[in-house]
Amino acid sequence: MTDLPSHLSEEVHLAFPPRDALAIEARKLDFFYGKTQALYGVDLPVERNKITALIGPSGCGKSTLLRALNRIYDLYPKQHAVGRILLDGHDVLADRRSLQRLRDRDGGGDDTAMIRSPVDVAGLRARVGMVFQKPTPFPMSIYDNVAFGVRLYQRKSRAEMDQIVEKSLRRAALWDEVKDKLHSSGLGLSGGQQQRLCVARGIAVEPDVLLLDEPASALDPVSTAKLEETLIELRQDFTIVIVTHNLQQAARISNYTGFMYLGRMMEFQPTEELFANPRGQRTRDYVTGRFG
Amino acid sequence: MASAAPPDTARFGTSGSAGETLFHAACFGAATLLLVTLGGVVVSLAIGGWPAIEHFGFGFLTSSEWNPVTEVYGAAGPVVGTLATALLALVMALPLAIGVAVFLVEFCPRPVAQPVAIAVELLAGIPSIVYGMWGLFVLAPWFAEHVQLPLMMEAEPGSWQEKLFSGIPNGANIFTASVILAIMILPYMAAVFRELFMTVPAQLREAAYGLGCTPFEVIRAVVIPYVRRGMVGVIMLGLGRALGETMAVTFIIGNAHGFPDSVFASGSTIASTIANEFAEATSDMHSAALVALGLVLFLITFGVLAIARALLGSQRH
Repeated sequence: MTDLPSHLSEEVHLAFPPRDALAIEARKLDFFYGKTQALYGVDLPVERNKITALIGPSGCGKSTLLRALNRIYDLYPKQHAVGRILLDGHDVLADRRSLQRLRDRDGGGDDTAMIRSPVDVAGLRARVGMVFQKPTPFPMSIYDNVAFGVRLYQRKSRAEMDQIVEKSLRRAALWDEVKDKLHSSGLGLSGGQQQRLCVARGIAVEPDVLLLDEPASALDPVSTAKLEETLIELRQDFTIVIVTHNLQQAARISNYTGFMYLGRMMEFQPTEELFANPRGQRTRDYVTGRFG
Repeated sequence: MASAAPPDTARFGTSGSAGETLFHAACFGAATLLLVTLGGVVVSLAIGGWPAIEHFGFGFLTSSEWNPVTEVYGAAGPVVGTLATALLALVMALPLAIGVAVFLVEFCPRPVAQPVAIAVELLAGIPSIVYGMWGLFVLAPWFAEHVQLPLMMEAEPGSWQEKLFSGIPNGANIFTASVILAIMILPYMAAVFRELFMTVPAQLREAAYGLGCTPFEVIRAVVIPYVRRGMVGVIMLGLGRALGETMAVTFIIGNAHGFPDSVFASGSTIASTIANEFAEATSDMHSAALVALGLVLFLITFGVLAIARALLGSQRH
């Protein structure tokens, strides 16, 4: 924590994709766990139908940033975000308390009055899906796991639901392995299969954005490779943000990479650029393995 | 799992020493003593109750005639009273207990939740005689005046309501006994439900919220299914407690021997019958009948607890 002031004044290198190509975007986002600040004015542009990877040493705030995007932090009363998160031009932080905090931070400028739409947090999370570090299958059958999110929002006939389940499982590259045991428990699958089941569950509701928080860190290399293939396939239909500790993984699958350090977005570039030609010294040190 | 390498006998080979042997024997002895005691209780109940079982046969369970004067003993009244009060209490306590636990785990601000949870656990420790006195002096008169009488007045003669609500309007009946039992098992069940709900991994909750669930949907579709088996176990343990409760029920159930024919009729349970009559059981057949009643209660409770154990055991994924 001693070099916190120094890194805050360092130059950052951000190359943003065009604004109208963005699916979701964080602007000048601060994040607090109680009184502890975990993010400092972070900008994150996420382009549609691309994979955006977040890398950085442990504790840099990449998971925090991800958890802000669908407001899952709302479950914990002491956590809050200040700033803007735009989804289709709507600010998902536009509830009264968040706006008040933004006004307290930035003063009453034009920007703080910008968008004010009621936020339906459950609806937001249906549009911004999430897959976690450990597989989280629900205690129900494979079929019901996938159908779960769809049933929350839509009434489908049996045949339509069968189709959605099959399509989602195919897209998650799990169909062939489970098609004969759709009605047995999701808890009986292997770790890698469970994680792909969670991906299938996440995409069944056709979210705009899919957030993945170190989805492969609990998986063996074969399962990891399968999951990565799945994600590259999914890019055609979905926008993906992935947090990863594995630099090769970010290099292999992502289009853009953001390097974070102690709560700050230090560098954001197209992935090849960031790995081949990092602009900042810290980025260079990190991707060449000098620290981290 | 067995350890891969054989133990180093020079350092760890104490299994043959006198201390270890003694320790082993002491543990074995303690376990055996418990089982022998349990077996002894069953055997002595069976022997003590045998004259009644032999004399009345299966009719002991089916007849509701319990008359110490004529020496006729049929246990259907107390048996039905026991089952009815325990089940009614469970039906009343279960939704409340789930509600309390869900509130404490999911909605209550953390600084408040902990003291409230401790208070709930303390409620579970209040002696049953205190509940019994409260039931007799406070609940029963209030209930008779404000619930039982109005309901009886309302009911049309000959209708099913009249049948259901008939009884002496003194508030000492099957229903108020069930209310007292429900109040007694509620804190216990709420406390255990709370601990069960806390075993649901935070990530599983987040995953459900992450799909756009509302809190109610998370609890209904993820939290409760996750602990379903454990919940059945808790319900069985609550039922076990309600079945065996003696003092509070004896105070308020009215202690009538016949077959209870409405929920507002006075009745008796096995435990209350034994508590009331054992001191005055002068004839051999009377005490044998009471001991046989004890055996029946033992078997009912044992069955319920065995089912609970089996379900709790299979909770481990």
